[in-house]
Amino acid sequence: MKQPKQNTVVSDCLLEIGSLLMGSGASTNRIKVTIERIAETLGYETEILVTHKTVLLLLKNKKTGKVFNRFKKTAPHGANFKLVSGISKMSWKVVEEQWTTDQVNQEIMRLQKATRYPFLLTLFMVGLADAAFCRLFGGAYVDMTIAFTATCIAFYFRHLLLKKQFNFYLCTTIVSFTSCLIAGLAVYLNIGVQPNLAFATCVLFLIPGIPLINSFTDLIDGNVTNGLVRGINAMLIAFSIALGMLGSMYIYNF
Amino acid sequence: MALWLAVAALGFAVLFNVPKRTLIAIALLSSLGGSCKLILMNFDFHIVIATFFGALLIGVLSIPIAHNKHATPLVFSIPAVIPMIPGAFAYKSMLGFIQLTGNINQTAYDLALNQTISNGIKAAFILLALTAGVSFPMLISRKESVKTMKLS
Repeated sequence: MKQPKQNTVVSDCLLEIGSLLMGSGASTNRIKVTIERIAETLGYETEILVTHKTVLLLLKNKKTGKVFNRFKKTAPHGANFKLVSGISKMSWKVVEEQWTTDQVNQEIMRLQKATRYPFLLTLFMVGLADAAFCRLFGGAYVDMTIAFTATCIAFYFRHLLLKKQFNFYLCTTIVSFTSCLIAGLAVYLNIGVQPNLAFATCVLFLIPGIPLINSFTDLIDGNVTNGLVRGINAMLIAFSIALGMLGSMYIYNF
Repeated sequence: MALWLAVAALGFAVLFNVPKRTLIAIALLSSLGGSCKLILMNFDFHIVIATFFGALLIGVLSIPIAHNKHATPLVFSIPAVIPMIPGAFAYKSMLGFIQLTGNINQTAYDLALNQTISNGIKAAFILLALTAGVSFPMLISRKESVKTMKLS
């Protein structure tokens, strides 16, 4: 009666890895490779199906030939590259040092607890990033300040909204609307050299960079379904941003 | 310019929560790739092709750096290419679409339609060149790394 227990533990561990990787923005092929690599070391053969919302795993015991099925919801989607690179690094250690399932589980717990950057630093850096965008498009320092202010306020607002677990697309729309409303004030009052540049750049921190690039990678890799899902997700986010901008434009009557 | 490219990339790197040891590499990669694009554009290359080569440079360089710093290439390449996204073109084309929905006379409509389509297509193709340039090196190198894994 010990065999099924072991199966459950191993599959839980592998599914947790898959779910976390999918949630934090790894490409489909990377998830498959990582899970297969770890499962191989633990002494199992696996077949795996990864989709946007669930991970389905089939474990096959190499000795007895018995199979075991399980699936799990993916972790909530939000970019976290520390986790992706941490798990990838771990998967190599697992192979080299022949880890057991317990060790893997402990490492995953440790990685999940790994800290994010402090919120204020993120806020400041994102604000600076949008100011830099404004500069790259040819804005002056005054325009950069406008973009910085609008981004910082909107980013704080996004933080509040995401905490309340709003619908992600709706949240994006509202945040883009807020950001444009602040930057649009400068355009309306004609502050700065080219305030419309600040207006255009103050929403750029919302752009879906990871879904876009992952979508393309998945499509070329042959994971067409996942690529399409990610692509549509990216397009929806872009559409939400545009909707928010549109709303504030109508208010200021540009 | 290179400095601002690096700042923009760092902002996104922090937003995506990358490991601390990779930050400097991301800033360098981003300014290199962006400068490559700007220099090519100075030599009268089309913006789509220039962007493609800039992104390709980032994609190629991210692989040895990833081996060196023990992180996946994805961690370096995604924040680094983000400063090259065609935000201005996308914005202009959106403005154009709004203009097209309004009541304007025929000549103004024709002009707006021309500009909107031009800007929109530019934005779409730059985006495509960007993603393609970044993903090709990753896809090619993966096969090689699988081969070396089997050999060793």
